[in-house]
Amino acid sequence: MEKKVLTVCPYCGTGCKLYLVVEDGQVIRAEAADGRTNEGNLCLKGYYGWDFLNDPQILTARLKKPLIRKNGKLEEVSWQEAIGFVAGKLTEIKKKYGPDAIMGTGSARGAGNEANYVMQKFMRAVIGTNNIDHCARV
Amino acid sequence: MSNSIPEIENADLLLIFGYNGADSHPIVARRIIKAKEKGAKIIVVDPRITESVRIADLWLPLKGGTNMALVNACGNVLINEALYHKEYVGKYVEGLEDYKTAVAKYTPEYAEAITGVKADDIRKAMRDYAGAKNAMILYGMGVCQFSQAVDVVRGLASLVLLTGNLGRANVGIGPVRGQNNVQGTCDMGTLPDVFPGYQAVTDAKARRKFEKAWGVKLSGRIGYKLTEIPHLVLQEDKVKAYYIMGEDPVQSDPNAGEVREVLDKMELVIVQDIFMNKTALHADVILPATSWGEHEGVYSSADRGFQRFKKAVEPKGDCKPDWQIICEIATAMGYEMKYEDTEEIWDEMRGLCPSFAGASYKRLDELGSIQWPCPTEEHTGTPYLYEGNKFSTPNGKGQLFACDWRPPLERVDEEFPLSLSTVREVGHYSVRTMTGNCRALQQLADEPGYVQLSVEDAEELHIRDQELISISSRRGSVMARALVTERVKKGATYMTYQWWIGACNELTSDHVDPITKTPEFKYCAVKVERIKDQAGAEQHVRDEYAKLRKQMGVNV
Repeated sequence: MEKKVLTVCPYCGTGCKLYLVVEDGQVIRAEAADGRTNEGNLCLKGYYGWDFLNDPQILTARLKKPLIRKNGKLEEVSWQEAIGFVAGKLTEIKKKYGPDAIMGTGSARGAGNEANYVMQKFMRAVIGTNNIDHCARV
Repeated sequence: MSNSIPEIENADLLLIFGYNGADSHPIVARRIIKAKEKGAKIIVVDPRITESVRIADLWLPLKGGTNMALVNACGNVLINEALYHKEYVGKYVEGLEDYKTAVAKYTPEYAEAITGVKADDIRKAMRDYAGAKNAMILYGMGVCQFSQAVDVVRGLASLVLLTGNLGRANVGIGPVRGQNNVQGTCDMGTLPDVFPGYQAVTDAKARRKFEKAWGVKLSGRIGYKLTEIPHLVLQEDKVKAYYIMGEDPVQSDPNAGEVREVLDKMELVIVQDIFMNKTALHADVILPATSWGEHEGVYSSADRGFQRFKKAVEPKGDCKPDWQIICEIATAMGYEMKYEDTEEIWDEMRGLCPSFAGASYKRLDELGSIQWPCPTEEHTGTPYLYEGNKFSTPNGKGQLFACDWRPPLERVDEEFPLSLSTVREVGHYSVRTMTGNCRALQQLADEPGYVQLSVEDAEELHIRDQELISISSRRGSVMARALVTERVKKGATYMTYQWWIGACNELTSDHVDPITKTPEFKYCAVKVERIKDQAGAEQHVRDEYAKLRKQMGVNV
């Protein structure tokens, strides 16, 4: 059974609305939707830019497990270990050098507004710095 | 953008300045074509023959790095030919006398000597612009990615103010924001000087509001900007940890060699992303996030439109949504951060940001898209800003601005005689980890990428179209394929930044605008050299590509 999910394109700032057509848990195509800015039009990235979700192993591999560098090599670890490592290291660095020794970035792409809100809140409320920026500057 | 994307096609004149819609926003570009079909005049300011130039009524082919001289000359014509809207300026604008003084020497002839644009074309452009009933300016990175960028933005805004093209539909000024949520990332306060909703961190009242909501004391000191990090790490030794979410600075930031050095010097580099990338190769820890398509939330389009995006499929690996990963780290550090879903986050944010307050998930579902400001749930959003011509200045008046032109910070010379500007191409996006992993798009273009080169320069250097060439700057050297084209002027070269082998950011300079600290991606000095052994070079590209893909974990 096909399912159509109304969403917004992840590429440029036009904000085109599109349907992802899903069958057996896989995206099989995209269709243009009648969004305010695109009114039923899509460009080639809107039509064909979803394929990376299927991890086709063309350019880079999808990240599927947390990794920690041990003896110079990235090794798979559990989420518990990864979160504990990050929290411990950040606490240590904050204590040793102060909160302004830590810099964070938001993401202007897939993550979305809520993730960016949480990221800047984390840097400001938990780390204690306004060192938060993103690629709008570059 | 002061106005909306759909309004573009209803303008009577479009002044397109340093913006290549066809490659960066194809669906915005269609509106430009529609405007033309409906009878609008199109004026394009760009050194290259872009698609917009092909349908333009007037093309001002300026030399790269001379924007401010041209904008000042535009102001000079509006003043000296008395084309400006006296009534509007008298009522809503201030600073006219200082502006007149600042642009006085920028006669069209004076500007022609700097920009290469014919004086009479500058005059004609401004007569048309001032004469149009509804005129809109669209600009892009051809304005922003110079060491003199903010000045040019304010200079363009002054043309808009002088002609009264604000505060109603189908006019205004539109920085067409690049990435799908770069507007939203700014809206959410992912910036060193503002909380969500553009509330200054230096404003004690705003700080108190966020302190109360978040239950902690907050810093009122403006934070570091992204492009200051290399200096702060390498020269001042001040930044020790870098938490990078969904960005690939080694590929996207200028002077890649320096970026790698920065990452390697840091005590802790956390990369949270969906694909292996060049930055992740330098990480101490990698946190796998869910992707677009696997989670939901709200994006902000370039014209301030909040729109919900939805989950379509389950994540392929042991990935978590970005916000959830951050909450778990916060909680492990002793600050409990817990949300049931993105709506709970969104509602907390709305409660703290008056201009976004009315855009609830429910209203977004009902209306499809809501342009902020949207102060209440009864409000339907704001397609254009500055209704009644009230501006966000202390006295509500628009401020005119002009200042002297400054040349780019790096100059071409005998050793590096050509300029390089980084640009976009339509098939691939940003650092290419997404589009490069889509079968249909990957077939459009692949490594090592291209250098656009003028026919004259190619002849002089004995370079043929599609040959592999070497391109070098003071910072590095890469190999790429020559794209010899009549669209490019002699002396200028262009590259897109998504290629690994033809990585133009190995070459770009880290000079920045003094206010925004945006890098001068649009201008650095390079040299191009022919490679004699083409077969050897082709083999080198294949070997390098295979090596990089292996490093990125692909089953080669």
